[in-house]
Amino acid sequence: MLSSALLENPLRQGLSSGRVAPPCSLVIYGASGDLTARKLVPALFELYEKHLLPVSFNLIGISRSAISDEDFRKKLKEALLQSKPQVSDAIWNSFSQNFHYHAGGYDDFKVYQALAVKLNELDEKNGTVGNRIFYLSTPPNVFEEIISNLGAAGLAKEEKGFSRVVIEKPFGHDLDSAKELNQKVREVFKENQIYRIDHYLGKETVQNFLVMRFANSIFEPIWDRRYVDHIQITASEDLGVGTRAGYYESSGILRDMFQNHLFQVMCLMAMEPPVIFEANAIRDEKLKILQAIRPFDEQTVRTNAIRGQYGPGFLAGQKVPGYRQEAGVDPQSITPTYAAIKIFLDTWRWHGVPFFLRSAKRLPKRTTEAAIQFKEPPNLLFKNNMTELSPNVLIIRIQPDEGITLKFETKVPGMSMEARTVNMDFRYGTSFAEGTSEAYERLLLDCMLGDATLFIRGDETEAAWAALMPVLNLWETTQPEGTFPNYEAGSWGPAEADEMMEKPWRKWRKL
Amino acid sequence: MSVPTAQNIESDLTGLWKIDQDSHLSQSGIRRIYTTNLVAYASDHEDGYRVEGILGDLVQYHPGRYILVRPAADTAEAPLRYYVSGRCLSWADPEKRVCCDMVKLVAQKEIIENLYGFTFSILVPDLPVEFWWPGDMPYYNSFFEHMAEQLNRVWVDSSKFKDPVQSLARLGAFWHKRYPKTNLADMNWIRIQRWQALIAELFDGEWSKYLKEIKQVTIEYGEGGTPLRSFYLACWLAAQLGWRHHQPRLSKLTDPLVFEGPNGSVEILLKPVPAPDHRADRIFAVGIVTQGEHAGIFTVVRDEDPHLVIARSEVNHQLAFSRVVTFEHLHSDDVLAIGLKHFEADPVWKKTLQMAGSILVHPDMSLEKGSKG
Repeated sequence: MLSSALLENPLRQGLSSGRVAPPCSLVIYGASGDLTARKLVPALFELYEKHLLPVSFNLIGISRSAISDEDFRKKLKEALLQSKPQVSDAIWNSFSQNFHYHAGGYDDFKVYQALAVKLNELDEKNGTVGNRIFYLSTPPNVFEEIISNLGAAGLAKEEKGFSRVVIEKPFGHDLDSAKELNQKVREVFKENQIYRIDHYLGKETVQNFLVMRFANSIFEPIWDRRYVDHIQITASEDLGVGTRAGYYESSGILRDMFQNHLFQVMCLMAMEPPVIFEANAIRDEKLKILQAIRPFDEQTVRTNAIRGQYGPGFLAGQKVPGYRQEAGVDPQSITPTYAAIKIFLDTWRWHGVPFFLRSAKRLPKRTTEAAIQFKEPPNLLFKNNMTELSPNVLIIRIQPDEGITLKFETKVPGMSMEARTVNMDFRYGTSFAEGTSEAYERLLLDCMLGDATLFIRGDETEAAWAALMPVLNLWETTQPEGTFPNYEAGSWGPAEADEMMEKPWRKWRKL
Repeated sequence: MSVPTAQNIESDLTGLWKIDQDSHLSQSGIRRIYTTNLVAYASDHEDGYRVEGILGDLVQYHPGRYILVRPAADTAEAPLRYYVSGRCLSWADPEKRVCCDMVKLVAQKEIIENLYGFTFSILVPDLPVEFWWPGDMPYYNSFFEHMAEQLNRVWVDSSKFKDPVQSLARLGAFWHKRYPKTNLADMNWIRIQRWQALIAELFDGEWSKYLKEIKQVTIEYGEGGTPLRSFYLACWLAAQLGWRHHQPRLSKLTDPLVFEGPNGSVEILLKPVPAPDHRADRIFAVGIVTQGEHAGIFTVVRDEDPHLVIARSEVNHQLAFSRVVTFEHLHSDDVLAIGLKHFEADPVWKKTLQMAGSILVHPDMSLEKGSKG
C-alpha cells in the first residue's frame, strides 16, 4: 500500500519497498526510557535500512531528564550498537541527523507550546508537511495530562497533515479507568487518530493467523464446534518479575497479559471472516468475540479461573527466589503471577468449545502458542488393535521458533497395526531465510501509513476489561484458596489448573 | 552409479538422507524443506563450476530442489551421468537440521539440449519452477525453449550477454509475444534496484514536484564494459516519468539519450569513469538536474568507502537533505536470492524493457532460429 503522499512520486511505484512511510515527525514522550532505546529506535533503524523511513523524518524525544540533544543521540546510539555493532558513524549520523531532545515536565504547558513551534520549524526545514505522531511511552498516570496538553496546544488538529497518538499499554487499570481514559483521549483526538498499541499484534505469526485462516480453504470448514474439542492459548515466561515489581504488584498477570495479548490472540483465532481486509472490518469482528465471552460470576470464577504465585525453585539448574522474595514485592503479596482461565464464547460457531488461556512467570520456558485440539474420530476403527490414539492438534507457535505444526496419527511400518503421532511442520525460520521483522518495526510503519488494522480500538479495550472484571474483582478482594505461593519456579504451575480441564483427554500441553 | 532415471535419482536422494539420519550427526533427524524448484543450465563446462558454486550459496536463502544441467568435460564419458548431494542450511538450528538437495546432470553435447523432459521428471511437484540461464542469450536452444514455454519464470543475466544491444532488443521485441505465460527476469535489474530506491526517496512528498522539471541526468559507470545497468536505470526513469524517445534508434548504449519530458527535452548521459575491471558497468553516481521554478540538484553517489552511498539534494545552492546508507556488494547468489523472494511478475521491469525496446535498433529477427513465427 502506498501512502497518498507517495502516490505522487511515480518513481516509487512498483518498487519492492513500496510500503514506505510518508514524511513525518515522531514525538516520543518518555524518550529517556528503556522502550525508546531498546525497541523504538532499533525499529526505526530497520525501517531506515530497508528504505521505508522517509528522507523527511524528524524524531523529537521528550522526557523529564535534563540531557542535551547530543547526549540523547549518544544514548540511543549505544543502545543500537548493542544489537547492531556494525553500524558505522557515517550511517548513524545520517540516520540520527534529525533527532532532537527536549527536556520538560509533562504538566508544563510551555513545553507543548515550544514543541508546536519546533515542529513547525522542522516542517519548514525538512519537508515533513505537518504530519505528526505522538508516542506515549510514559507511565500511564500521565497519559491524560499529555493528551490534554497536546489538545490545548493545538497539536491534535489535522490542518496541514495528520496528527496521531500512539498509546502504550496498559490502557487503563480496569473497566472504569479505561472508559475514562477513552473519553479523555477522544475529547482531543478522533478515534481514527488513536493507535492503542499491543506489540503482540505486530508479530509476524499473529498476523499469519488471518492469512492461515482466510487464505486457505482447508481450515475454515473444520474451525468450529463440530470438529474442535478445545483451544489452548499459552504465553509462558521463564523470567521472574525482575525490576518491574512496582508495576507488577499493582497489575498482576491478568492485567499484564490477558486483557491485551491473550484476548487479542483469542479474537484472531475465533473471529468470523471480515467482509473486507480493512482495519475497522477486522476490529468489528474481534469486538464481537470479546462481547461474546460468557460473563463470569462468583461461582464460575472459582471453578474456571485458577491463580497462582511462584515460590522459590530452579531454572536451568540455578536457584531462583520466589515472587515474595523479589525486590520491591510485598512479602504477603497475593498478586498472581500465574493464571489459567476457561472461557466460553456464546456464538454459533464456538458454542460449548472451551478456550483455555494461561500465562505465567517462572515456568520452565518462554513460549507463546495457540493450539487447536480436534475431536476424536467418531468411529474407533482401530480400538482393538491400538492402545491409544492421540487427538489431532494444530499448533501455531508465536514465539520462539515461529511456525505451524499439525500432529496426526500414522501407521508405524511393520506387520502390526500400530499408530504413532507425527508432526507436520512449517517453520518461518526454515521456509523463509528472511527473518521475521520486529513487532515495533511493523507497528511504527503502520501508524505512519495510517493503517490501524494491528492496533486496538477503544471499544475493544473496554469489552476486554468488561469480560475480565469479575475475575479481577474477586481475586483482589479475597485471599486465594490454599496458600500462596502454590507453584515452584521452574514447574508448569499449580496442580489445580489441571482440574479445570474436566475431561480426561484434555490436558495442558507440556511445552 | 545407477542408470539415470527419475526413480533412481529419487531413490538415491532418499538413501542419502537415510544414511545421514543414521549417523551421529543428526540425532534429532533432518527436515527436508522445499520452497521452490530451481533449474540452471550451464552452456560450458567451466561455467558449470561457477554456477554450481552459486547454487550452493543460494540454497542458504531458498531451500529447494536445485537441478544443474551442464555439459561433460570429456567426450569419453557416459552420455548422461547424475550426482545427488544434500545441502543443509548453516543458519538453521543445528539440533533441527534443515536440508534440501541438488541434482547435477552431466551430459554430452549431443544430448544435453534434449534433457528438458528428464528435468521435468525430477522436479518436486506442485512447487514453482524457476529456470536460470546464466550465460549469453541463445538464438535457439531446445532446452531453453522448452523451459521458457513451460516453467514459471526464466532468469537471465544481461551482464553475460555478448551482444547486449542485440540481446536486449530481442528480449524487448519478442519475449512477451513468444512466451506470454512465462515471466522473464534479469539479474541486472535486481542489481539496480537499490539505486532506484535511493533515487525514488529523493522525490518523496513535496519533492515530487521537481520530477516534472528534470532537464538532465548523468549516470557514471565503471568503464570497460557496456553500460547496461546505467541504460536500464535511464529506461526506468523514462518509463516511470512518461518521457518519450523520438530520436533515431540507438545501436550503442553509450550514445546520449534524449527524451521528450513534460517540460521539454531531457538528456541522459551515460558517462564512463575509471574503474578496475571487476567494476566495469557498475553504477558509481547518478546526478539529476532540475531547472525552472523547481531548480535543484539531486545526487546519489558512491562514497570513498565502497560500502556506503550518499543520497543528497541541493536546492537554491543549499543542502536540502542527505542520507547515507550501506551498500554492500551483491554477489550473484545474493542477487538471485533477492529476486526469488518475489514471485509475481514485475510490471515496472516489463515497462522498462519495452522502453529499452523502443530505444534500441530493431533486432535482426532473421536470426531467430526455431522460427516460431
